Amino acid sequence: MTRSSTFDRLLDQVQTGGRLSADDIAQLAATPDILSVGMLADALRRRLHGTSVTYVRVAACGFDASFARAVPPLAREIRITGSPASLTTARAAVESAKAVAGDRPVSGFAWRDVERLSSSSRMPVARVLAELRAAGLEGLAEIPVDAIEDEAAVIDTLRQAGFDRLRLTVSKAPGAERTGAMLRAAALQARFGGIQAVAPLPTAIDALRPATGYDDVKAVAIARLAAPNIPVVQVDWQRYGPKLAQVALTFGADDLDNVAASDEAPDGRRRAPLEELRRNIEAAGFTAAERDGLFNVISR
Amino acid sequence: MVDELVRNVTDGARVTAAEALDLYRHAPTHVLGRLADAIRARKHPDRVVTYIIDRNVNYTNVCVARCNFCAFYRPVGSAEGYVLGFEEIFRKIDETMAVGGNQLLLQGGHNPDLPIAWYEDLFRAVKGRYPGLRLHALSPPEILHISRTNTVSVREVVARLVAAGLDSIPGGGAEILVDRVRKLLNCYGKASADEWIDVMRHAHRAGLRSTATMMYGTVETDEERVEHMMRVRDLQDDTGGFTAFIAWSFQPEHTERGGAEATGVDYLRTLALARIVLDNVDNLQASWVTQGGKVGQLSLAFGANDMGSVMLEENVVRAAGASYCMDEVEIVASIEDAGFVPKRRNMQYEILGDPVFRARDVPRVLELATARAAGDTSVPEELRQYPARSRAGKQLRLAQ
Repeated sequence: MTRSSTFDRLLDQVQTGGRLSADDIAQLAATPDILSVGMLADALRRRLHGTSVTYVRVAACGFDASFARAVPPLAREIRITGSPASLTTARAAVESAKAVAGDRPVSGFAWRDVERLSSSSRMPVARVLAELRAAGLEGLAEIPVDAIEDEAAVIDTLRQAGFDRLRLTVSKAPGAERTGAMLRAAALQARFGGIQAVAPLPTAIDALRPATGYDDVKAVAIARLAAPNIPVVQVDWQRYGPKLAQVALTFGADDLDNVAASDEAPDGRRRAPLEELRRNIEAAGFTAAERDGLFNVISR
Repeated sequence: MVDELVRNVTDGARVTAAEALDLYRHAPTHVLGRLADAIRARKHPDRVVTYIIDRNVNYTNVCVARCNFCAFYRPVGSAEGYVLGFEEIFRKIDETMAVGGNQLLLQGGHNPDLPIAWYEDLFRAVKGRYPGLRLHALSPPEILHISRTNTVSVREVVARLVAAGLDSIPGGGAEILVDRVRKLLNCYGKASADEWIDVMRHAHRAGLRSTATMMYGTVETDEERVEHMMRVRDLQDDTGGFTAFIAWSFQPEHTERGGAEATGVDYLRTLALARIVLDNVDNLQASWVTQGGKVGQLSLAFGANDMGSVMLEENVVRAAGASYCMDEVEIVASIEDAGFVPKRRNMQYEILGDPVFRARDVPRVLELATARAAGDTSVPEELRQYPARSRAGKQLRLAQ
């Protein structure tokens, strides 16, 4: 796609609050002209968020580890990792995390864990969710829109169980398949609401066939353009690294997830995690704002 | 102002230093990218993106220059200092040629104990054994070092090395071609900005082609980054000897200077600016070695038309903390995924052919080779034939 009347039409639509059609999205997903796709996504992102980029410091802790040791005071979200074998173990992990977290939100587990716990405990999924919620779980860490069979039923069940500000993820879909997943995410939001964020880059990285830079930034841009009704498009800071994550900010992302909660600086102050993060945000022309695990901005 | 500049550049106008600075500081990142991409498309309308299969061999890490941004060098007398033997270098060439390589990129420290005869003998031995191999060797500061330690003029050093087999010169050691910066980086002594330019001018006039490089992200100002590009452009106007320009960011790990690395967006903006300013340099390389494969690939949208080298070995950047690795399969996949046509090239940027390895029929290479295995302290047999200048070097010869 070159700078053309088509591009100008799409840019005008994006800037004036119009929504691109599925055909437009499909064409953008197919073009190698990532700069045009990026410009459109950036325009939409700036209309929605201005120059603000949020980030959250997350303490990730295995369900069977000591939360007291693994959760630094700077963490704004406690994320339980791993897959407990039983609902009792999962509930205990949430309670332990919550005891350490105080008023900070606790998230964890993937949708497949919930299904497995339902099966092993012979309880309906809704009941499992209710028990985890009662124990203090405020968010599911992974709701992979590319890997769950009946997305509508899943989102409906989560909403009924009291989970809001949902964060949709992508498990491992290659770039070409992520476009459809983002259009489905937008449709889910239109139907059920309650989806706060989408993380369009895969949570599982194939070491033998890694995604390319084009794949990644285009996936971010398409997520922004295909799902303009989902407020937040995020990139995992630790998984994708400063360079790709920073470039993604110029392709439509507005949030950096999973920033290290430790601020130790063995290599000097300028290379401390938070300093590096803020430097990258500002060097890309944005302003940094810290948020908590529920997407509330707590400091700028 | 920026809009007018964008129109001018789109129409093919050459930018002044002040205009370049304005674009760098004020043009949105995508706009800079679009300008650079349009120039790339004008210069390379066939959508070919090239790469070379070669090996970056560092023949010695002993160096008297002591640049404070370098994590690779060891001082004279260090137990960790090494000089590669001719046989070791031959083995590396054999490995390179086995995977389709056609060039050796040979650079090293400023070792006072290697006289010009060592280089001449090495080059002759390489060319005698591998007549088709191209020797892309010795950056301007190394040539200057050989000139100084052998009290031979730069012109004569170049002539003698060409007679021995030198084919082209890498553009290393340029850092930022501004003496204020070079003094702060402690690399003014190895070559001032004028000296670097002069060596290149001699080389170009002697018929050699070379690349030009820029290491940014240390102490330079935006103005100095632009000044560097202007100096390269001016010499290119004069000689036309540069085949390509390569920019990379300072890698701070394990260096005396330390600090933080410039960001990925800064790299893409700097690259795009280089494409805009250097309207007389045909080829712009992506530095995946310092930026990683992903930003390396994105460089193709910001003006780059070359993915650099499928380098089987790299030591200098790796010593400073960068450990990215791409083999030919991955480079080719990156080029095709971005909508370009991959072709192998030589140092002159002549197309050699299609990729050698397209499919994953060999395991993915996850780590580049290094100059030597850890703990290998062997001293090459042939070194005893060459007189040493330093006390430590003389003692080493006596012990052999």
